[in-house]
Amino acid sequence: MTQTASTTDALVTKGLGVSYNKFVALADVDLNIRENSVHSIIGPNGAGKTTLFHALTGRVRPSSGKITLGGRDITNLSDNERVRRGIARSFQVTSLFPDLSVHENLRLAAQGRTPWQALAMWRRAESNHEAMATVDEMLARLSLTRVATRAAGELAHGQQRRLEVGMAMAARPRVILMDEPTSGMGIDDIETMKDLIQGLASDHTVLFIEHNMGIVMNISDTVTVLRLGRKLVEGPPAMVRDDPEVKKAYLGNMITGDIA
Amino acid sequence: MIYLFQVLNGIGLGMLYFLLAVGLSIIFGLLQFVNFAHGAFYLLGAYLTYDLVERDISFWVAMPAAAVIVALVAGLTEASLLRRIYKLPHTFHILVTVGLALVIQEFVIVVWGPLGGSVATPKSLAGVLIIGDFIYPYYRIFAICFTAVLAFVLYWALERTRLGAIVRAGSESTETMALLGYDTLRINTAVFAFGAGLAGLAGALAAPIRGVEPFMGVEALSVAFVVVVIGGMGSYVGALAAGLLVGVIQSLMATIWPEGARLMIYVAMAFVIVTMPRGLFGRV
Amino acid sequence: MLINKPFFQFGLVVLTVLALPFFLRSGIMASEILIYGMVVAASNLLLGYTGLLSFGQGIFFGTGSYLAGIVLTRTGVPVGLMLPMAAVLGTVIATLVGGLSIRRQGVYFVMLTLAFSQLFYFLAYTFSDLTGGDNGLLDVPRPMLNGEQLVDPWSYYAYVGVCFVLVFAAMLLVTQSTFGRTLIAVRENEERAAAIGFPVRVFKIAAFAISGAVTAFAGALHAMLIGVAPLSSIEYHTSEIILVMTIIGGSSSLYASVLGASFYLLMADTLSSIWPRWLLLLGLVLVVVALFLQKGLWGLVEKIYALLTHNRIPPEVEPSDLGTDTTAKGE
Repeated sequence: MTQTASTTDALVTKGLGVSYNKFVALADVDLNIRENSVHSIIGPNGAGKTTLFHALTGRVRPSSGKITLGGRDITNLSDNERVRRGIARSFQVTSLFPDLSVHENLRLAAQGRTPWQALAMWRRAESNHEAMATVDEMLARLSLTRVATRAAGELAHGQQRRLEVGMAMAARPRVILMDEPTSGMGIDDIETMKDLIQGLASDHTVLFIEHNMGIVMNISDTVTVLRLGRKLVEGPPAMVRDDPEVKKAYLGNMITGDIA
Repeated sequence: MIYLFQVLNGIGLGMLYFLLAVGLSIIFGLLQFVNFAHGAFYLLGAYLTYDLVERDISFWVAMPAAAVIVALVAGLTEASLLRRIYKLPHTFHILVTVGLALVIQEFVIVVWGPLGGSVATPKSLAGVLIIGDFIYPYYRIFAICFTAVLAFVLYWALERTRLGAIVRAGSESTETMALLGYDTLRINTAVFAFGAGLAGLAGALAAPIRGVEPFMGVEALSVAFVVVVIGGMGSYVGALAAGLLVGVIQSLMATIWPEGARLMIYVAMAFVIVTMPRGLFGRV
Repeated sequence: MLINKPFFQFGLVVLTVLALPFFLRSGIMASEILIYGMVVAASNLLLGYTGLLSFGQGIFFGTGSYLAGIVLTRTGVPVGLMLPMAAVLGTVIATLVGGLSIRRQGVYFVMLTLAFSQLFYFLAYTFSDLTGGDNGLLDVPRPMLNGEQLVDPWSYYAYVGVCFVLVFAAMLLVTQSTFGRTLIAVRENEERAAAIGFPVRVFKIAAFAISGAVTAFAGALHAMLIGVAPLSSIEYHTSEIILVMTIIGGSSSLYASVLGASFYLLMADTLSSIWPRWLLLLGLVLVVVALFLQKGLWGLVEKIYALLTHNRIPPEVEPSDLGTDTTAKGE
């Protein structure tokens, strides 16, 4: 069920595999993530979702296969080089600068796109007007303007999760990778996050791992199901939901429905 | 022949370095705690041996007694002070153990004076072995054999016994161990005392070879670090291989380029770091 | 907090330089405080701002000291040129040592810095033609000013004081810059700093480079102060006391380091005249600091200030405490 590669693919993997010693965590994964689409990765625990993310962000080196971003091979680039090429990520376990203000968190994330500039030991942090403008925009989009001066570690969980996603957005990436953006969230927060992710697709290509099937089925253009490190099924939500293989993989009725 | 002699010396020295490094490693493995007082325990072991031998007590009593006393001192320190700081960032582990090392070092100077001294080889091992051209002191042969046996026992104890399993498991998860009903506080104390005792034993064994002086602890600490860096922390085989390597390099260089002998230890370390950042057998 | 703001810190620095002559009888001691103040602030840039605990600061201090000794006793190069040379050499060596040491993380990193300090000690010891070995390099002259040598300790103090204010101002600028703020991010969460695009290693090495430059610069000033470039300036013990001063001072501001250096040097001076084995007492002081004064003397000052102004301590974009456990992050 793979889609054919086209000029509008933002991120493409071919035969991607990751092995730790003898253990094969990921094998032979072909992905074509269309530009400005919302693409989700689902699968039972241990399916290789996080490993896939690590390979895409450059945290682990793939043992086989190729990754291209906008047609350019990025397989051998380091994690921070990939950020400059336009890949940014958020973490499943919130990973912020807890003692720094929300504003400073976002400013750093915005500065991360041009990290060499930050080596300037004489230039004030606030003199990067582009980054400062990005921060204000992000604060508004994340509804965090009110708490901009508070330490990130003091925020409520839902706010921290939004900031976590905002850290990826502030880099203004071409592709934004999110590892379980709704993890640990309450119902109200999940709604906000859903709207946020949906809105992202206008400026970014979104690829995310998610356990909340309501969100997955609701906002994805394409869903890829992984099992045991391999691609099981891929297609639009409706098709994936009805696939017997997927049902078997999830052992029952975990994939239900419409909304959370 | 001089080289054979020096290689043997190097092996003897290397085995002492191994004892130091393995003690450091055991403590780090279980407690996630770098003991900057490790060199001071070595110093104390050497001085206690010196003191007891000066009092006409047999070396064969003095050596184990020194190791045991060092272990007791370390155990008491752990139970009264160190366990309070495990939760703090490692900056404070370093600060406290550096402080402890200073206290021990200055204590040694207060009690035994700043000049140091020499320790007579035990009478039963006085003299040299002569085979043709080859001449080698009995005591050094004993030191090599003794530490080799000890190394083997240690390996067996850590890899093959329940105690060793507990120590190794502890570094994985102290909480799990507590849930399984082990008294982790006592195990921590015992392991710290044991690791420090090994350093004390190394000091006791070294005393008849190199004599004693108050600043031998600092050197021992940094050599132990070098061994751990070269061998890879947490690797028993690595500590042994690196200890021997460092000992042999130092001994051989003592013939070839005496002024630079100790320098070469650190050059070797820098070389390993450049070529193999994880050390010879390192996993972390 | 007001007392951590750069202009306030700068004010404290100027005040310190002006006030020391009124409180101390020895110009040597006063100069030493300023020199170590720089050295400890440079160590603080690594520990407090970047989260790197370096046990090798003595390497850079000794480097500067030897450079002053060699250049001033064997060549005609003037002090005004020698001091920048010291800073450059310090940068080069710190880049090398830092670059190699950060290949390992957490405690391994600390061990490496300590081992490197031994390496440089034995280098200095071994190549005694260059360094004078055990004796060090003797008769290092003080700088000339208006054709007159600064023989009087207090006139040399003025010279050191000007250097101190300039260096400190530069360091304040560095910590306020985009660069300094990125170092704080690295200390706070290295994984995230890398994930948002910063080449973390480069920033760590750059922090080392600055730290090395300042420390070597101060080392050169020190050799001129005591007239010797001694072997002890590159010893383990020098690295040790620099670290001790850094932690005692606290790391939530740069001025904390001046406090740490002053406290240590004055304590050493007082105690050593009472009892030669005073290091035993120092050992106990370190334990007490670890147990009861984890934010150092400056932490105490902050607390008192907060009490006086009835303010809670608000979160700031300042290094907040020593609690940067790189062990945890290293795994």
